[in-house]
Amino acid sequence: MIRALAYCGFCHRPEISLPATGVQSATVQAMGEGELRLLWSEVEWPFAAERMQRSAVEFHEVVHHVFRQAAVVPFRLLSLFDDESTLARFAAEHARAFVDDLERLKDCVQMECVIYPAPGRGARDDGSGTAYLQEKAALLRAQDEQVNALRSSLGGLAREVRVREGKNGVRIFVLTERGQEAEFRSAVERVPVSELLSRRTSGPWPAAEFLSERVRAPHVAGAK
Amino acid sequence: MGRGRHIRLFPMPTDFEPVTLSRPGEDEVSLLDILDHVLNAGVVIHGSVIISLAGVDLVYLGLNVVLTSVETALRGIRAEEEKRRLE
Repeated sequence: MIRALAYCGFCHRPEISLPATGVQSATVQAMGEGELRLLWSEVEWPFAAERMQRSAVEFHEVVHHVFRQAAVVPFRLLSLFDDESTLARFAAEHARAFVDDLERLKDCVQMECVIYPAPGRGARDDGSGTAYLQEKAALLRAQDEQVNALRSSLGGLAREVRVREGKNGVRIFVLTERGQEAEFRSAVERVPVSELLSRRTSGPWPAAEFLSERVRAPHVAGAK
Repeated sequence: MGRGRHIRLFPMPTDFEPVTLSRPGEDEVSLLDILDHVLNAGVVIHGSVIISLAGVDLVYLGLNVVLTSVETALRGIRAEEEKRRLE
């Protein structure tokens, strides 16, 4: 069956170039609602399992084609609408909120650091309970110290920082000005990493972590 | 800068065979990054959809479920690749 797959929203500017094709090599179309443009394609659903990775890369390429030129609000892959008219209703209902977020984030990108136990240094449960707890406590302490050191090192580069703790480490999202990615990486690299930890930096990404709640999880009439 | 972007199709876990696509002048991105961001970051339309990824059912309901499902999906991809390698 054919569905409308939404890629991302952005504020219209005539100089922004659009990608020609997206997931499944489908034509990428732009839908306008005031200043807002939504990119979407008609795709065959469900996706073929063996093409899922390829579809993810194709989706990413569409979003980043625009993101290289302007702020975007990315949809998640699998944001499928019944058809073009359903997507148009969604655009009409949510355009104001999307444009507000895009204006707020227009000069920003999201950089990320993931801090996780160094290979072979995670808290293991093959020793005594006390040793496990001590190792785990040391890891958590090292993670906290790393997060605090990164915050200090980033200083004015970070407009906003959000930290999410997961079961396998900590993820730090930093909202920074577009064009300051290299400075961000330098500031991160200046912070030494404990031997207990590994650190990985990525970005720039669309500032998805900093979207307002009404854009991140919009109410959609009829959704289950 | 002179760096190429590498989209490595099986990137971070060391037992994955890397397949590299490169584009000059762009940053390096791993498939794991891409999967993580396209599934976890951005607008989520509530509703329920079930897809099968590499033979593993991936239930897409919302943020929390997706975070778990990506791990499941990546395990599925690894298993699928291992199977293909042995064939």
